Amino acid sequence: MAGILGIYLFDNRWNAYNFGVFGLMALQHRGQETAGFELFGDDRNKVAGKGLVEQVLASANTKGHICVGAVSPYPAEDAEIQPISLNGKVSAAIDGKILKVDGYQWNGSISYEENLRRAFSEQVKGSNDLDGLKGFFGRCRGGFSYVAVNENRDMVAGRGAMGVKPLVLGKMGFDGGIVASESCVMDIIGERVPISPAENIEPGEVRVFTPLSAHSEQGATSKRRAYCSFEYVYLARPDSYINDVPVYRVRRSIGKKLVEEGYVDADVVIGVPETAIPFAMAHSNETGIPVEKGFELTGRRVRSAMKPNQFERLKGVQLKLNVISEAVKGKRVVLIDDSVVRGNTLANIVYLMKEKGAKEIHVRIGSPHIVSHCPFGVEVPPEDELIGKHLPEDKIAEVVGADSFKYLSIEGLIEAVGMSRRDLCLGCFNGHYPEV
Amino acid sequence: MKVLLVGGAGREHAIAAAFARSGHEPRLYCLSDLTNPGIKGIVKKSGGEYYLGNINDPEGVIKAAKKSGADFVFVGPEEPNFHGVPDRLEDGGIPCIGANRAVSELEMSKASMRDLQWKYKIPGRLWYKKFKTFEEAVPYIEEYADSVALKPARQAGGKGVKVIEDFQVYLQEDKRKVKKEHAESIVREYMKGYDDIDYKLLIEERVWGPEYTVHCFTDGSTVVPMPAVQDNKHAFDGDLGLETGGMGSISCGMNLRWGVDDGRAILTDEEYLKSVEIVRMMIDAIQTETGEKYHGVVAGQMMLTSVWGPTVIEMYSRLGDPEAGNVLSVLKSDIVDICEAIIGERLNTIKAEFEDKAVVVKAVCPEGYPNRRDIASGHPVKIKGNGDGILWASADIKDERVFSGGSRVVECLGVGESVPEASRRAEKLTEKVSLEDGWKLFHRRDIGSEKSLERRIALANMAREIYQYRERRGLLGKRMIWIPGKGLVEVG
Repeated sequence: MAGILGIYLFDNRWNAYNFGVFGLMALQHRGQETAGFELFGDDRNKVAGKGLVEQVLASANTKGHICVGAVSPYPAEDAEIQPISLNGKVSAAIDGKILKVDGYQWNGSISYEENLRRAFSEQVKGSNDLDGLKGFFGRCRGGFSYVAVNENRDMVAGRGAMGVKPLVLGKMGFDGGIVASESCVMDIIGERVPISPAENIEPGEVRVFTPLSAHSEQGATSKRRAYCSFEYVYLARPDSYINDVPVYRVRRSIGKKLVEEGYVDADVVIGVPETAIPFAMAHSNETGIPVEKGFELTGRRVRSAMKPNQFERLKGVQLKLNVISEAVKGKRVVLIDDSVVRGNTLANIVYLMKEKGAKEIHVRIGSPHIVSHCPFGVEVPPEDELIGKHLPEDKIAEVVGADSFKYLSIEGLIEAVGMSRRDLCLGCFNGHYPEV
Repeated sequence: MKVLLVGGAGREHAIAAAFARSGHEPRLYCLSDLTNPGIKGIVKKSGGEYYLGNINDPEGVIKAAKKSGADFVFVGPEEPNFHGVPDRLEDGGIPCIGANRAVSELEMSKASMRDLQWKYKIPGRLWYKKFKTFEEAVPYIEEYADSVALKPARQAGGKGVKVIEDFQVYLQEDKRKVKKEHAESIVREYMKGYDDIDYKLLIEERVWGPEYTVHCFTDGSTVVPMPAVQDNKHAFDGDLGLETGGMGSISCGMNLRWGVDDGRAILTDEEYLKSVEIVRMMIDAIQTETGEKYHGVVAGQMMLTSVWGPTVIEMYSRLGDPEAGNVLSVLKSDIVDICEAIIGERLNTIKAEFEDKAVVVKAVCPEGYPNRRDIASGHPVKIKGNGDGILWASADIKDERVFSGGSRVVECLGVGESVPEASRRAEKLTEKVSLEDGWKLFHRRDIGSEKSLERRIALANMAREIYQYRERRGLLGKRMIWIPGKGLVEVG
């Protein structure tokens, strides 16, 4: 996955630089390994590197009234830093994965990005115009959203036909438009419209900006919708709307579902920061069991589950989650986390909590068991590493040292999102991915 | 009966169409600087003549009026008003529907309009500051960190307004830079050539809410209000992009309802009446101030804001374009009767009636509009079918062919029982328009759509909730700021 951003300001007196920096900061939770953007004005300026937005971009001093940028959770060793160059003329940011391009023979022996470049060059045949750019993304298949700018200062942005990855449109008064993975970007850099801050871009829809126009085109769309359900559980910010559904509402519903499906009498509910806190609050509202702040953070807030290796993940957890003993000492605790991948960070949390005197720990997980590796780029490790694929709940309880352990059911998740099952991609949880 | 129409845009085509429906069967003449194919057709059919000439030159207009033998003149656009065309016509004994130079100050000087509104304590007034030079404005822009609208102090063909929201302090530097640069271009570019006004630049507080226009006929004593119309200023779908003269407008009933039999509305009846009252107060104020009578059309371009409820954004001294299509196509009364009543100052004896229908007007523009009119103009235009429901706007006949001007080339007008239905009809009409050389046309599909109506009603509800709360607390229009070290500052 990634967080992608496109800013198109018609008036070249604007500099999109600060808008790009703060816009990508608002997407930082979608990727903390690399950050980059390219600004288009009189000339082109690209800034990209390893690290957080404020480390990579905030001190640069570049200019341009059009911006394409991304934050990504993939280490620079494994993937090119976004935005990637498609043929030297086009700069593109992609969230998710393009799995094939119609009319192009995918070559397994070269990199993902190199495949995209070759497919692009083959298909646009030297022309760099807007139609070539639209045509290329129109032939891409997979679970992805994209923003791309060519050297004529045309910007296209859209979602794959099934809508796996999100994308929204926001505005900046009479001066331009913004596209981004999540609507929270519009709160941070967009026009503060006192109704919904952003408009959902539909699957298959293409938003086109040129120096003379801005409009929407409906490209090929699949009957099958496959909105990524993991966005609601973990990936998106709670202040965002994904496919017009407020993420915070889903997280609260998940908290209630956990009560319905796995109530246990306890003295305190604690959510693992940051994602699981709304689950815990809703759980507490539903049961009357008080919610407490269970942890204090040391250093910078990181998304530990997205760290590329075990050492970094544990370091993240241990620094992020120092247990406040007064909140748990002598108490029966319902501990809520958003998801379990390998189980070892959870084991670490349970251990720390027991060490601080928790009497019982009942773990509730705000998502179903993860059993499958996402082909669309959600960071899930190989299947032989996934604890939920191999062990039943009672066994996991023993492994992590909890008194009980329960996942949210797939039905519970579907109900919490409030969409029909056939509009969601639940592949991480059931191994069924939509056909590309 | 003979009538001379001055002007040749979409608005004037709508006016000509209203005259064509009159039971008096007037012979219609037109004076314009371009040959509008739609008006030309009506003029010809009525037995009148189409004159080409400068509409802002009073002598030329008088000449055309005399040549045609017109019983009265109807002035469509604002610039002839600013140039005193109605004054000179009346001096010459030719009655005229059109605000004279003195009262058209309401529109011409956005600075005087605000002065007047504050002087007479007319509700719906915004904070503003006026400047004669760019240099004067610089310290103000640098100190006053807030969301503002920067406007040329004079009506400049609807161009040059920029609204900059300046809320996020981390983006302030960028926004101030653009504010300054735009203020400078207002003074040096947009106001260039206008030497009939002292002030050059106006900076107003930025407000939010649904916009709407309330037009009224007036003879100086009686005010006859027309249905409220909502224009759409952004060039592109979804309220995106550049400011234009108006990409299309919607109306239904008097208060912007969803449908004839659908109570959902952007404005409440009370808000509509309050808006009319504000327009009436503005007319009274300008007449008191100048000692002159207002004969013609006046319009309040309003916004329903959280600060005031109905709030004045700007005033028009004529019908709006494309809003004229909305109000005139549902005008049931005879426009000649109304004009004669205005001239005779007996508008109180006339009952102006409007059909209870939804109307949606969609402007169709060549690509390049609004900022690159040079490349938008000069393309041959073709309309399939008989052209019913299509108003010609920025177009000119040369060698028997119609070419696009740089602006909105036609306006497609749909009528229906609900706004979405009227919108679909207007949308169908847009398909009939094309440019023969293959240059692209664009228009807004979303105007009058269910989704866009829902959003506007939601926005109105939000503004309403806040202004009504303020009203209950006695805080309507009041603004309070605590300045540390200085104390409480109250304005309102």
